Amino acid sequence: MRKQILSTVLALCLAFPFLLLLAGCAAETSLILRVYNWEDYISEPTENDSEYVDLISKFEEEYEEKTGQKITVEYSTFGTNENMYNELQINPGSYDLVCPSDYMIMKMISEGMVEEFSQDFLTNSNYAKYASPYIKDLFEEKGWTNYATVYMWGTMGYVYDPELSETIEEDLSSWSGIWKKEYAEVATIKDSVRDSYFLGVAVAYREELMQLKERFEQGSIDAKAYNDEITRIMNLTDEETLEKTKDALIQLKENLYGFEVDSGKQDMIAGRISINFAWSGDAVYTMDDAEPYIDENGKEIPGIYLNYIVPEECSNIWFDGWVMPKGANTELAEAFIDFLSAPENAVENMNFIGYTSAIAGDRVFEEMIDWYDESADPENRGTDEDGNALVAYDLNYFFNGTSDGEYENGDFIIYVSEESAKRQISAQYPTEDVLTRSAIMQHFDDETNASVNEMWEEVKGLPIPLWAYIAIAAIIVLILVAALSFAYKGKRRNAKVKKGYTVLKRGAQ
Amino acid sequence: MVKIHFSRKQLCIPYGLFLALFVVIPMLLILFYAFTETVDGTIRFSFANFLNFFTSTAKLSTLLMSFTIAIISTAICLLIAYPLAYILARSKFKKKNVLLMLFIMPMWINFVLRITALRELLDLIGLLGTDNYLNTIIGMVYDFLPFMILPLYTTLEKLDNSYLEAAADLGGNKFTVFTRVTFPLSMPGVISGITMVFMPSMTNYVVSDTLGNFNITILGKLIDQYFTTYDNWHMGSMISIILLVIIFLTMLLTGRFKDENRDARGANLW
Repeated sequence: MRKQILSTVLALCLAFPFLLLLAGCAAETSLILRVYNWEDYISEPTENDSEYVDLISKFEEEYEEKTGQKITVEYSTFGTNENMYNELQINPGSYDLVCPSDYMIMKMISEGMVEEFSQDFLTNSNYAKYASPYIKDLFEEKGWTNYATVYMWGTMGYVYDPELSETIEEDLSSWSGIWKKEYAEVATIKDSVRDSYFLGVAVAYREELMQLKERFEQGSIDAKAYNDEITRIMNLTDEETLEKTKDALIQLKENLYGFEVDSGKQDMIAGRISINFAWSGDAVYTMDDAEPYIDENGKEIPGIYLNYIVPEECSNIWFDGWVMPKGANTELAEAFIDFLSAPENAVENMNFIGYTSAIAGDRVFEEMIDWYDESADPENRGTDEDGNALVAYDLNYFFNGTSDGEYENGDFIIYVSEESAKRQISAQYPTEDVLTRSAIMQHFDDETNASVNEMWEEVKGLPIPLWAYIAIAAIIVLILVAALSFAYKGKRRNAKVKKGYTVLKRGAQ
Repeated sequence: MVKIHFSRKQLCIPYGLFLALFVVIPMLLILFYAFTETVDGTIRFSFANFLNFFTSTAKLSTLLMSFTIAIISTAICLLIAYPLAYILARSKFKKKNVLLMLFIMPMWINFVLRITALRELLDLIGLLGTDNYLNTIIGMVYDFLPFMILPLYTTLEKLDNSYLEAAADLGGNKFTVFTRVTFPLSMPGVISGITMVFMPSMTNYVVSDTLGNFNITILGKLIDQYFTTYDNWHMGSMISIILLVIIFLTMLLTGRFKDENRDARGANLW
């Protein structure tokens, strides 16, 4: 008996490695902040470039300096909003700070999944001081101010190669540009329901949207009414809209090079495609990487100058923001946002990620002048080295009211050449007109989601090509023939046994 | 000194644990999810997913397309691999193991890498983006060919030469010997190869996404979508179950051949 127990124990030991895997980590003495963010969405040194500031360890150091307490940031990343949401559903209270996109923030707020920010944070933090008033007003209007702060934001548009055709700029000033036969197999769109749905609706309702624009330009409706109406149209999910959108997208599919998840940037840079439906942040990245440049050995690396355009009908203003899930350590989470909202850190992030931070302030504006301004003389801006007049790119709507005293309201203008105004800066900071026609995409409820997904499935799965029908028919015929001949053969074999012979069963010997 | 003796039962404990944790419980979970739905936060029993699958044009056409792609890929694999395995197994070449290894070696390189490389190659010759179905099938064939070669080679190599000699003695010409003796006797290898290629070809969406520029949805992709982006585990599980049933049925059909050729069973590597 004893022997049996002993060997049972030993056998259990064989299973020990599994148990070890399941066991948790040892306890830590320092404070822990658990942050859950998108991949590649914070400045950190990379293998190729160690120049980037490691913002996480910088935060840990700064926090210890300020409060005397050690803090460790447990930083993990997710790939889609839905993955993040599921993770939170399965393990509630496992994170202090997460960074979902607009519609997911809406969903989480409506489901009561997030903590409110403290009054102190809302009135007296770097975020309160430096976040752009444009962003803050937008949030105030929607009633999200107490639950979420914006991290990065932008629009959607087309990145394109202006050399592709004479009329490309004009063609792409409408979303329907990539439906044209002229641009067959040169464009990609996102393999994502929400983004592509937006594109489909914009084309399906092109006439209505253009009429609205006309009315707005004539002055018969004001900016707010215009934007509200666009937001209403772009969020339509009734059956008729779904049907129209589906038809538009299936038509588009035939004309596309393909869908993409993340390869659009590389495909643009490599010249495989010439038009890409992109988020503004990715657009900046693509344009940066495609440009010709001079490497460290002084060798010229050829490249192409790409443009970014937000079509006339409408656009989508999107943002990713920080929320604190229920049960979070709000004090630490707020300290982290406060740290990220300091303009010098926001600049590091923008530099690394390529997206546009919601943080304004002198430091960010100076960086933008450094990146984009082409004035020859910093004191007397407005003309370039050759004396050509530059275009005034007005960023006052974004920066006004966030200066520490270096700039006055109204000073926030960047002077760029006409060509450059269509490049990185237009993706980094959309102009005010673009924002007037940019809608926030809402969160769909479960039922709507199901029918939108169904529509998307049909777009992706249909139509079945003709050859497939032929192939299937051939396969069925083949199977039938095989089955028939098999059955026939079986009969013949049995019939062949002649009288007087004994049939030996297989294996009988 | 105490001599430790493990009984069979005790030796089974580690595997038993593994089986329960990673096979039985997950299967039950998938079954549970497949036949339930979440309505207003509560989970209830339902056949809705099942009905939805068989009434949705999109899903049925996905099923049909995956099936077609898988069958065509398998057929091409078989057409390429059989002559190859036959020649290799019958040849008197001394270093044939080296040759075989050359065909098998790609299996040891991560397939995502191979597919990405193939994408570049297709781009180079200008096929990428023109016919997504063709590219997907090329990818599937390229990726799964070794899985077809290996079982075929093993069966054909083990084939007793005396059978062939006997058939020839009895007056069969080369063609008859092949159709009446060699091919029937290699059936276990064929079946094993078919199952090895057919099943992954229906689900391996890395291939269809990379080479078909996300234009093609196959069943594996659909399942992935339901779990990751549509956030509907119930439908995702239902599609998994349907796939399981399809594969089970194919096995059942092919299983007949296996039993008939009990002797050659060793060829069934997998």
